[in-house]
Amino acid sequence: MSLSVLQGIASGDQSAVRACIDEYGALVWSLARRLSRTTADAEDAVQEIFLDVWKSAARFDASQGSEKMFIAMIARRRLIDRLRKKSAEPTMEPVEALETIAWSDPGTASQTASEAELATRALHELRPEQRQVLELGLLHGLSQTEISARLGLPLGSVKSLMRRGLIKIREYMNIDAEGVAVRT
Amino acid sequence: MAGMEHPPEAVLDLLIKELNEGLTPEEQRILAAAAPQATDEYRRGLEKTAAAVSLAATSVDSEPLPAALRERLAREAQVYFAAVSSPTTASAPTASAPTLEYGGRAPARSAPRIRRDSTVGWWAAAACLLLALFGWYRTPSTVFKPLETARLVTPAPEPTPAMQRAALIALPDTLKIPLGATKDPAAAGVSGDVVWDAHTQRGYIRLVGLPHNDPNSQQYQMWIFDGERDQRYPVDGGVFDAPAAGQEIVIPIHNVIPVHLAKAFAVTVEKAGGVVVSARDHVVVLGQVTSSRAGSPG
Repeated sequence: MSLSVLQGIASGDQSAVRACIDEYGALVWSLARRLSRTTADAEDAVQEIFLDVWKSAARFDASQGSEKMFIAMIARRRLIDRLRKKSAEPTMEPVEALETIAWSDPGTASQTASEAELATRALHELRPEQRQVLELGLLHGLSQTEISARLGLPLGSVKSLMRRGLIKIREYMNIDAEGVAVRT
Repeated sequence: MAGMEHPPEAVLDLLIKELNEGLTPEEQRILAAAAPQATDEYRRGLEKTAAAVSLAATSVDSEPLPAALRERLAREAQVYFAAVSSPTTASAPTASAPTLEYGGRAPARSAPRIRRDSTVGWWAAAACLLLALFGWYRTPSTVFKPLETARLVTPAPEPTPAMQRAALIALPDTLKIPLGATKDPAAAGVSGDVVWDAHTQRGYIRLVGLPHNDPNSQQYQMWIFDGERDQRYPVDGGVFDAPAAGQEIVIPIHNVIPVHLAKAFAVTVEKAGGVVVSARDHVVVLGQVTSSRAGSPG
């Protein structure tokens, strides 16, 4: 049986490294662009993320989710850490500059739906304000306080929308700590 | 679908805040004291949820990785894997960087955002949280296992600067510049070199015979002269200490801004913490890049 990209990296296969960059470069770059203030920040973040991926490749467990999910989790952790470190700095990208998130059509249920497809369907089940708060927080890196100011909502409402939205998605996807159950 | 159990709102809000933007030290302490195993388990699920949302967003709207960045990554990979596969890896690991486990999280999340909330408010919040948690644990139907043994993660060893320097030298186009001692008293008997890769903006300085410094009063500082910048203001490469006289040291260069065309490298003695602009009163070593091997990314 052929090794996955991450298994290849873990076993020291140099060609797997380039394959990893080719396969997941766009994913990591897209996440980094959204959750970084500048292009230079995003470039640095991508380098750090891939270094984390190489170091962590041996810990990938396919029974707990896809490689994409594994790498997205690593990317998010690194990007949130970087955002937090940068938060003390006075400059901040104007919130008006945030791009609109495009979601794919949720389509129809399938037993082999990917995590992204499941999440898309779950997002379409949310109330618009729940989705908006999650987009601003999870995808644009705004703090709850910043979301509150941007939307003119009390902080408690932002927390509540985020809480309920995440719970709904998690329940829809039947995510537990060990993996994502395929929804049938 | 079977109902999924969730922690009380106070705990959940902290977990979500952590996921979204990070916690203050006080919040971290409260969360850690609350129920480490239960929250870790729930936290992992939240992280997966957030990652899945990220995947959904990028599945229709992703940007290709810029070609130049791709090449930088490939080069970084070469350096990294050459270093970790070096025969000395096992015998000389340095302190490991935080590593990530799919099922867990990094052991420490650095530089938490600090906010000056009222201490009284925090104690009140902590009290409410503990009360909430008490109720949570007493719920018979809880799916959390508070006393479950934590999964231990053995971090991967990180290559030492010497190993990384050796790996960098092996790459094509990497500059190796000998450093010459000046007439400064601190420079007597000092020798060394700089290894610099303009593509990845990484480099290492190796020095032998540098006098020990007292880090409380003075430190050594690296400088990079960029041919495309004003020569009065070389790029700061970071400060470092010489732990023992005569010992060989290899120090990574931490240039705070990009170096477009490395022309020379220098080490000066400065006050503790370094300076923004050096008076160049105590230049210890200096090395120039010859024109035939100019240090530009190309």
